Amino acid sequence: MSVIAKVWIEEDCITCDACQDICPEVFQLTDETSQIVAAVRVDGQFDRNTGGALLKANFGEEFAEYIEEAAEACPVEIIKFEVAGGAAPAAEAEAPVAAAVAPVAEAVTVSAGTSDALASVFAGDRTLTILFGSQTGNAAGLAEKTAKLAANYELNANVVDMEGYNPANLVGAKRVLIITSTWGEGEMPDNAEDFWQGVNSSSPALAGVSYSVCAIGDSSYDEYCKAGTDWDEKFSALGGTSIQQIQLCDVDFDEPWSQWVNSVLPRIACVDDSGTFQESLVGEMAAYGAGGDDSVSSGDFTPGTVSMDEISVSIQLFRYCPSAAESGWDNISCSIPAHATIEDLLVAIQQDVDGSLAFRRGTTGGTPTTGVFVNGRIVLADLARISDVVDSKGSLKIEPAPGLPIIRDLIVDLSGYEAARARAEPWMRADPREGARLLNGAAVGTMDASSATILHQKSDILSYQLVQSMSDTSVYDKSYEGPGVHLQQWLRAEDPRCGGEQRRSIISSLNESDGVWAEADLSSIARYGSDGKLAARGLIEARAHLLNASDYSGKHGRLVKWYGRSVKWTGNVNETTLYRQVLGPLGLVSNIFNGVSARMVLGFTRNGGPPIRGLQGLLMPPAGVGKIPNMINSKVDAHHEVVSLFNEIDKRF
Amino acid sequence: MAKVAYYPGNTARAASMEVEDCIVPLCKTLGIDLVEIPKASSDGGNIISQASAKLQHSLVARNLALAEQKGIDIMTTCATSHAIMCETADTLAADSLYASQLNNLIARTSGIEYSGESKSRHLLHYLVEEVGLDKIRDAVVNPINLNIAGYYGSNMQREGACGDDDIFLPSYLEQLITALGGVPIDFELKCQSVGAPSLLTLEGTAMAMTAAVLSDAKQNGADMMVSACTISHSNLDSYQSRAGKLTGKDTAMPVVHLAEIVAFALGHYPDRLAQLRTRALIIGS
Repeated sequence: MSVIAKVWIEEDCITCDACQDICPEVFQLTDETSQIVAAVRVDGQFDRNTGGALLKANFGEEFAEYIEEAAEACPVEIIKFEVAGGAAPAAEAEAPVAAAVAPVAEAVTVSAGTSDALASVFAGDRTLTILFGSQTGNAAGLAEKTAKLAANYELNANVVDMEGYNPANLVGAKRVLIITSTWGEGEMPDNAEDFWQGVNSSSPALAGVSYSVCAIGDSSYDEYCKAGTDWDEKFSALGGTSIQQIQLCDVDFDEPWSQWVNSVLPRIACVDDSGTFQESLVGEMAAYGAGGDDSVSSGDFTPGTVSMDEISVSIQLFRYCPSAAESGWDNISCSIPAHATIEDLLVAIQQDVDGSLAFRRGTTGGTPTTGVFVNGRIVLADLARISDVVDSKGSLKIEPAPGLPIIRDLIVDLSGYEAARARAEPWMRADPREGARLLNGAAVGTMDASSATILHQKSDILSYQLVQSMSDTSVYDKSYEGPGVHLQQWLRAEDPRCGGEQRRSIISSLNESDGVWAEADLSSIARYGSDGKLAARGLIEARAHLLNASDYSGKHGRLVKWYGRSVKWTGNVNETTLYRQVLGPLGLVSNIFNGVSARMVLGFTRNGGPPIRGLQGLLMPPAGVGKIPNMINSKVDAHHEVVSLFNEIDKRF
Repeated sequence: MAKVAYYPGNTARAASMEVEDCIVPLCKTLGIDLVEIPKASSDGGNIISQASAKLQHSLVARNLALAEQKGIDIMTTCATSHAIMCETADTLAADSLYASQLNNLIARTSGIEYSGESKSRHLLHYLVEEVGLDKIRDAVVNPINLNIAGYYGSNMQREGACGDDDIFLPSYLEQLITALGGVPIDFELKCQSVGAPSLLTLEGTAMAMTAAVLSDAKQNGADMMVSACTISHSNLDSYQSRAGKLTGKDTAMPVVHLAEIVAFALGHYPDRLAQLRTRALIIGS
């Protein structure tokens, strides 16, 4: 009997059920196509297996007869398989991987399935030189990312700082990519200046060089992306061949860079060892490079180096149907690899249990809009692993991200957040500049490296949408714009490139009643991991800035000022002082009429305590209108040490 | 007898005297030797940090250094104070330069330094992890026999501040309530903030948050509530009728501090326990 090494489904399945009827252990139908069941595959994925993953050893033998029968029965003949270690059906020639019994890891790297022409391009020198001109590190970062992606196209990328690079080295290079920012008023970044001058003075012949440029800039400047366009024109003038048109990137450069890199890499990878651009192979090259990428990101159960055993989980899944305006819970039990993400789990439920389940799918691990609430944690569904959130009993309670209206099931309405963000305008609005330099030589509005680093650290937030969900307050105060919006505003105000007008506008906005003071308790944000900590820290900084700017006026300012003074004066907090100073005399008295004072006084008596305790606890006036009685507000021992600390650090109190 | 420095927090010796009443006999019964640190000051309550994080950190580091000078950890009854001390210790441990700056200041003003050895422990974590539930169960004289909702708040339910308990699905309070003879009532909002830091500045919001916690516990069948946070206790108890009035929710429920309920169960203040039972089962608030 033959042993099937692997089986896959080609395109154009008509979903006739024939294969599933014959061998449901291997074939399973979805709405669009038949797929190979995860349980029989070594990679544990559930798809058409066009990547050519091997069948687990026993299944290849056990179901060989049925797989062959299913392939014969397929009316559109799209079921292909490969026999282990021996002859295979005619379809074998189209197998996506070469070695029938090769380990999976090898199968991914083998270039079988590529044409001879493409294989010939891969032969010989595959060096790609990526030159970066960078002032704040953005271009350097993009160069590193580009180099990683270049490996998918069998290119050996060298990331090179322009600083110190010899222009003569360009002669003889076959493939060059330039990624550069523009500095000041259309100037080269500092690390590129000498190289630029060197190229201009030596004018190396670049006849054999294929190149492309990705230019980063700020469209609010007159000389937008000028350094990049200068390089593009220079290379062209020196005889270089532009393999792809220059890409201009504005402040939000990720998306245009991504478009450029996805287009330029297949093209420059088609420059062969002789320096000739094999344009006819670009499509095949693009597919080749994308194939490597897909194998990493398209699995239902996250592949890679992290692999854990299956665990049994009991899932309590929130459901909401907007048309019926009904909500409820689905209870599902299943086994799933512990390393799978919440999104993997939801996909599996959608496929196997209820196709109507609605949730947001991510595009990469860490998609900002995939937030859900799992066992009390606010997490991104495409990033959080089940092993990290499941409780000791194997329970998973999955709900929509809190604090936001629900559209359906786990999908929340982010339009309110987006509208608030649009009003807040946290994006860069630099002041018009005239290219002046300060006496120390720095261009106006530039950012030094340490400021850039600090700003990057402060803004290292995975998802502002998630931060928006972290506040316990937003549920109870509908006018509150939310911490996700305010944090973006504050970080923009902290950006030294931000224009003065925008900074004033942001500070004013943050100080409004729906601004940062509307958050009732920052500790509710700080508890949610690194994003929460960063957000709470940033918002406290914003508050400190506002307090200083307003000279501690308003309720919030008075609370902070008198809290500090109270501690400085005695080492302790005097609540009566706070009541008096924050609420005013009438505010203090109002507690007597609204029942709060009565509960304070009677609180201990209600529990059987002596009435004097209640009176002490209340800290009745005259503390609020005059001197604080020592009986209630005695000083801590060595109080002068506390005063010294205040005087050393902050004399405002 | 285990020694630990006692830090009452910002209100236990002012508006929350019930905690001060109960903590001493409680610890005596359980063999915990409370050591006073009379030089300890307010920790800033996360209010001073809004003006100067450095100032709040220095106040807290000085308090920790005072305990360290005695070679013991600090125990506090206030979740907010505990969280503040943990955050300060973590910050200093992560940034040696900053720690050095603060220690220079503390050394100059108080003649001591904080090396990071003394840590903060909340009463709840100390009872469960150090004393042990078995020992507490054996020491119970007056089982509580009530449906009790445990309120944690948001302050100490964060990494590094909740002992070995789960940050997001904590169960220490429920385990302790069971050991005290009570029936723990689980409710969704047990870790939600009641807006205590903004009581004076955002009263409406704080009251709405307070009312939500109380009514959630009540709807889940709680006769009373136990708070692990001294400051939040004030919101939940003294302000509960106002919260109910402003929101229209049923918030009437006796709320006591963790230190009280443990002391009552261990046989202290039987008259207070009797009145608590009467309030929980008959009066309702």
